[in-house]
Amino acid sequence: MSAALMEQRPPQALNRAIQGDADSFSRLIEPLLDPAYRLAAVMLGDRTAAEDAVQEGSIKAWRKLKQLRGDASSLRPWFLSIVANECRMARRTRWWSVLKLPEVREADQETGESHTDLRRAMLRLRPEERLPLVLHFYLDLPLDEVARTLGVSTAAAKSRVYRAAKRLRADLTMEEVF
Amino acid sequence: MSPNDDFRRELNHVFDDISGSPDPGLRDRVRSAVAEAPGERSTYWIAAVAACVITALIVGILYVNNPFRRTGIAGPVSTPTPTSSPTSQPSPSPSTSPSAQPVICSADTVQPITQSHPQTAFISALRAAEHDAYDRLVIDFANGVPAAGVQLIPQTGTSFDGAPSGQPTTTRGTNGIKVIIQGADLHTSYSGSRDLVTGLPHLAEVRQIEDYEGTVQLALGVNGPACYSAFYLTGPDRFVIDITAAP
Repeated sequence: MSAALMEQRPPQALNRAIQGDADSFSRLIEPLLDPAYRLAAVMLGDRTAAEDAVQEGSIKAWRKLKQLRGDASSLRPWFLSIVANECRMARRTRWWSVLKLPEVREADQETGESHTDLRRAMLRLRPEERLPLVLHFYLDLPLDEVARTLGVSTAAAKSRVYRAAKRLRADLTMEEVF
Repeated sequence: MSPNDDFRRELNHVFDDISGSPDPGLRDRVRSAVAEAPGERSTYWIAAVAACVITALIVGILYVNNPFRRTGIAGPVSTPTPTSSPTSQPSPSPSTSPSAQPVICSADTVQPITQSHPQTAFISALRAAEHDAYDRLVIDFANGVPAAGVQLIPQTGTSFDGAPSGQPTTTRGTNGIKVIIQGADLHTSYSGSRDLVTGLPHLAEVRQIEDYEGTVQLALGVNGPACYSAFYLTGPDRFVIDITAAP
């Protein structure tokens, strides 16, 4: 997937959404649904569960929109953090989803030989370890936004990205990651 | 191509493999879910309404069960409600039951305080129930309590005289209390048993001795000393006899 940079959303739409305009809110988060889905799919390893997590996260974001701090640029990390939290909850309540081995094996057969090892290594990571990788490499979020999504400092976010990447390839250097 | 780009490209291939593309209908699904979901304010509103309803229910229950709202003739003191009744009579359960009356083991007539009384008070139910330290007999009246009061006469043994037939009436237990109610009858509003074997620890049996010409006599067979406390209650009108193990 190529980088999915979200355009700046007009603050007027955000204000209308905060005032209770559901249509404005839907328009605001529409560009965020695709990255949110990808984040959820990688965290959960289940596409259907990922769509459910995005839907639940959207509803929660709508209900808690007044709690959004900062300007419109804060919406993306805020929304992604809600979806990530939904994924954590989904994994706790739908523990059986991690046992869907046939789906994983089928996918393995479809991929090229050169990616198989990396894919297996990725699936061995815990969802919490996959999350910073998705945010930084897949969604192309800058480190400060990764940090806001994870709720940690920028330095801590950088450290998490690097640690997770090293678990995929032990010989990676910091320069190769960033 | 830098090592970073190479790693990123490989990683994104893996991510694409895992996630695929979202369902094209996801956008509409989310839009309709958001449109149907109540906002935060609506949630608070529902919670506020629910809180009001629950509060109203609690206040209503407290009001209905408030022991100080009811005025017992003999002075209300809250005690447990009878929980079982060996009679099959459907009758209102007394919700309050003063039992601050002195326990006595001698004959006594309990006079009503109320001013108006029917010419004949119709007994509508006889109910017995066990409590922690006593057994309770409740005599319900359908149209008010009798003017002459209720006379209670403890006795040794369980053989009662006074029946119109001239034959003694016997009950279970070791001693007895004869209850005489002048100006009452046990047949106009009452259709239950005239011999209640209660199975209770103190009050063993309640049996009719007489129901004739406006006089009702009941024989109470008790286990242990024939001691009691007696008083009236209202709402509905009733006479209560608590049989205790000891004064």
